[in-house]
Amino acid sequence: MEGWDLLLNGFVNSITVVNLVACFIGALIGTIVGVLPGLGPTATMALMLPFTLRFPPETGLIMMAGVWFGSQYGGSTTSILVNIPGEAASVVTCIDGYQMAKKGRAGAALALVAIGSFIAGTIGIIGLQFFAPFLGEAALSFGPPEYFAFMIFALVLLSNLSGDSPLKGLLMVGLGLFISSIGINPLDSYPRFTLGSNRLMLGIEFLPLAMGFFGISEILIIALETYAPPTVKKLRLKDLYPNKIEMKRSIGPTWRGSILGFLVGLLPGPCTVISTFISWSLEKRLSKTPEEFGKGAVEGVVGPESANNSAVMGSMIPLLTLGIPFAAPSAVMLAGLRMHNVEPGPLLFSTRPEIFWTFIAAMYIGNVMLIILNLPLVGLFGRIATIRPQLLMPFIGVICLVGVYSVRNSIFDVWVMIFAGVIGYFLRRWKFPVAPFIIGVVLGPMTENSVRQTLMMFKGDMTRIFNRPIALTFLSVTLAFIIFKISYFLLRRIFMTKKA
Amino acid sequence: MGKKLKFYPELFFTFLLTVLGFVILIVSIAYGFGSFKRPGPGLYPFFVSLIIVSSGMILLILGLKSKSSEPLFNKNTLKIFLLMFATFILWIIAMPLLGYVVITFVTTYCFCKVMRLEGWIKPLALSVGTALFIYVLFDVWLYIDLPRGILGK
Repeated sequence: MEGWDLLLNGFVNSITVVNLVACFIGALIGTIVGVLPGLGPTATMALMLPFTLRFPPETGLIMMAGVWFGSQYGGSTTSILVNIPGEAASVVTCIDGYQMAKKGRAGAALALVAIGSFIAGTIGIIGLQFFAPFLGEAALSFGPPEYFAFMIFALVLLSNLSGDSPLKGLLMVGLGLFISSIGINPLDSYPRFTLGSNRLMLGIEFLPLAMGFFGISEILIIALETYAPPTVKKLRLKDLYPNKIEMKRSIGPTWRGSILGFLVGLLPGPCTVISTFISWSLEKRLSKTPEEFGKGAVEGVVGPESANNSAVMGSMIPLLTLGIPFAAPSAVMLAGLRMHNVEPGPLLFSTRPEIFWTFIAAMYIGNVMLIILNLPLVGLFGRIATIRPQLLMPFIGVICLVGVYSVRNSIFDVWVMIFAGVIGYFLRRWKFPVAPFIIGVVLGPMTENSVRQTLMMFKGDMTRIFNRPIALTFLSVTLAFIIFKISYFLLRRIFMTKKA
Repeated sequence: MGKKLKFYPELFFTFLLTVLGFVILIVSIAYGFGSFKRPGPGLYPFFVSLIIVSSGMILLILGLKSKSSEPLFNKNTLKIFLLMFATFILWIIAMPLLGYVVITFVTTYCFCKVMRLEGWIKPLALSVGTALFIYVLFDVWLYIDLPRGILGK
């Protein structure tokens, strides 16, 4: 019963003008960002961080989660209408969504996706509401060895699941961990890699790095691209009605996508993107008419779009229960909470339960806001996709500059952002994944603490980790994953040479 | 005539990252490892540098096998890139002098022109609108005290 009381309290706390406005602004900006190709949810969340600092932590969390959630809704609009994914998690939707639009069923596809996303979002929030406190309690038994093993597990999986090359992912994780080690080490007060500069003694701030890597680099990429304006078909409200067969066909994929997405969200990596690919393949495999996939199958649109919505909520679990972000947007959220002096983790549920429950309640409200926003305004969002980036990017560039300066009134932070933006541009150009770097930066101090505390706890004898079943399980899974990846790589090479 | 040397930007970038890894490795050794019972400040960065160096080296070897020499910029994109960079630097240098509202106006106009927004009415309208929005957001709504420069207190 205690949980329901807390949830009720959460609703009371979330129904304040500030929180409702934050939720609405987050959902609206998220939907627009999802619609617009280019700027993704991570960049937008990083961009909004300086502004959220002026509000209580739960308000900031609600706004940022609204952006992430909203971008999953909005991303499908351009995928279906113009065959351009607004963000990475909507790439799969283009396959069948645009084909449905070509058959004159764009309105129905958008309506089914919005309803599916609403159901998936609700299932995701219910999952988060029930599992997070339970897992948070279980995580109380985690000591430094468990955290150490879990970090290794997270970083290895992350480097493998982000981008095309696991090696590039690993290199980026390493660089992120290195950046986080710059400055005075809190464990022994020893200054490292400061080059004698006083400014570097406090380390490099996360915000300018995130805004540079995601915001400035995106502006540079868009500035150098040639722009081809998409043509968007006009939609009327009556076009949105799906027929009975389409509705019937979407029920199964919505439920399957919701559960699958939630589970994928628990894994390290770009969970929203991965969940859509798995969902599409699963639906194709389960379908009695797999030949329809790629030609406008309802299941191929609704399943992945439901999956990416519930994946957002799934990925909140490791963030809130362990304080470990598994995806770039949750890394930005963690940084935002830390800037408010709130440390997510197992103790959050006992020390600051109001943050968690207000967040849960606001997400229920936000989900309703999103379906209200997305169904009648779908035509408007479609037209937003035609806004030229030349009109938007100068505005975003200036917001980045003033925003990052305003946090500490520091020109040094602006230099860091520009430098990170230029490096980020080259990294993205050569397909080095940026997410592992950012997560490496956030997880760095925690990783070092857990490594050093484990060594001290075991008096240098790491074999004692075999007496810790949870830590041993994480390390075994990591080892099994590495062995699988190496054998897969070798077997593929042998097979390719034989074929040649 | 000898063979003309070709520049491989991606490979060069990977090489730089690997060199950085080596530098971290050497510096972390200088910091001291301590012992496994009492780890020193250099132990953790040493392991991190091993990740960077090993993955960088393998990437270099793989990159040498399949050299991709896609040009980084053409004449036009290089010009845009440098102008974008110069506009960012302009903001950093001129903001304390001109103040955040005036520099926002100037920078937005520069960004519009660099990003090929035609004419002067649209860029001007966007610059005025952005400067006004930034002023209202930071000064009126968020009460953040930012340098006002020539506009004074």
